[in-house]
Amino acid sequence: MAREPNDQSYARPVRRLLVTVVILALAGLVLVWRIDNPRVERLRAAIIDHVVPNMEWAMAPITGMARMIDDFQSYARLYEQNEELRRELQQMRAWREAALQLEQENARLLDLNRVRLDPELTFVTGIVMADAGGPFRRSVLINVGARDGILDGWATMDGLGVVGRISGVGERTSRVLLLTDSNSRIPVTIQPSGQQALLMGDNTQAPALDFIEAPEDIRPGDRIVTSGDDGLFPPGLLVGQVVETTDRILRARLAADMSRLNFLRVMRSHPGTTLSDPGALIGPPWPPPDGFVLAPGVPMPTTAPITRPDRPVELSQPEPTQ
Amino acid sequence: MTANTSTQHLWGYRALFLGLCGAVITVKMLPLSLDATGLPGPDLLLALTLAWLLRQPAVVPIGSIVLVFLLADILFQRPPGLWTLLVVGASESLRQRRLSMTEFTFFLEWSAFGGAVFALFFLERLGLWLLMVDLPPLGLVIAHAIVTAAVYPVVVAVSKFLFGLRKIGAAQAEA
Repeated sequence: MAREPNDQSYARPVRRLLVTVVILALAGLVLVWRIDNPRVERLRAAIIDHVVPNMEWAMAPITGMARMIDDFQSYARLYEQNEELRRELQQMRAWREAALQLEQENARLLDLNRVRLDPELTFVTGIVMADAGGPFRRSVLINVGARDGILDGWATMDGLGVVGRISGVGERTSRVLLLTDSNSRIPVTIQPSGQQALLMGDNTQAPALDFIEAPEDIRPGDRIVTSGDDGLFPPGLLVGQVVETTDRILRARLAADMSRLNFLRVMRSHPGTTLSDPGALIGPPWPPPDGFVLAPGVPMPTTAPITRPDRPVELSQPEPTQ
Repeated sequence: MTANTSTQHLWGYRALFLGLCGAVITVKMLPLSLDATGLPGPDLLLALTLAWLLRQPAVVPIGSIVLVFLLADILFQRPPGLWTLLVVGASESLRQRRLSMTEFTFFLEWSAFGGAVFALFFLERLGLWLLMVDLPPLGLVIAHAIVTAAVYPVVVAVSKFLFGLRKIGAAQAEA
């Protein structure tokens, strides 16, 4: 800007003051974020909520174009892919037959056992809007938020496997922390050995499995499912398969296609019922009902013979969860 | 060139800077290559800002820097304000240094940029450590800094030949 030379005498100190004020304000913002994290994170979610849907008009065509180019490149390998798919289809037919038989058998067994599966496991489907991570953060934004009833911590899947969990909810958007992020930790069970482990994201494509009690019982190829021990994820959601790297670390090959996240399912989970009542003896009703007659010669007790819980523990009907 | 057209140029470039930063942020947010691990890409926002600042300090006022980087901090889930604070500090120091230099060759410019990038990444790590935020892996951060420092000539070439942003001398920078 063409400034008059005689401006300089006071422009310099004013500028220095401005810079100092800006730097102090930013330092204050960082400190406030550190001290009152939830409030600032809510503010961040609100800002993202306003900014990102407005960027959609620019982002949607570019994303679509890039995906089309990707698809077009795969045309080049059409013949090989076709052959490959045919072979796979053949195998899948055999599997389908096996699965159908197993399903029928399973249904029969469940019926015999009167097992009631959790009927409340429903989901909300959202579309991935944006990549909300930097080079060291793996997270995406999806287009469902608080107005769709999304809550923090809910599990998110693509069609097949777990992708991550909700971490940050805005009114119209929410952020999914992917399993590959270095902050992601979820408890899992490894089938068929039934061992508990923790799936730790570390910015690589295959998160590491840690805190395994007996690693010698685990083989590459074992299935990994969520264990539900965190009280957030429903148990039994497919995560992936165990693989062993050359440095003998067990890792998980994720079942979800992390390179092409498009539609995501947010699983509504409900907090499990907890037993809060201490165990107590269950005795006859007290005080005795009208018309109750003691055997002759037995004195009437004056206090309650045994303590009773105020409320009988119902074992057959779990408390309805909200 | 009269004062009027030069002012128009200046405001044009300021708007162009904001537009380019918006484009970089938008492209970064596209949900593509979500599984990209390995070598982290360059921090184009930082390279663009410091390159333009070194070549024509007046087109990157402190307000633009605060606006762009604060928005990026918020959108990219970084601690809000920390990176902005460091970039503002670095830009002010580079502005001061720019004024005191009479000779300003390209290699001097590049080394100033590289030094600033490494100092920024080190200070950010220090800040995160002080705030007890968990740190990204050191190897990846160093790779990120190296890639960012290496991308500088490309950014300069694009700004020079595509947008016609020429380097001005110290005397003009003072004005």
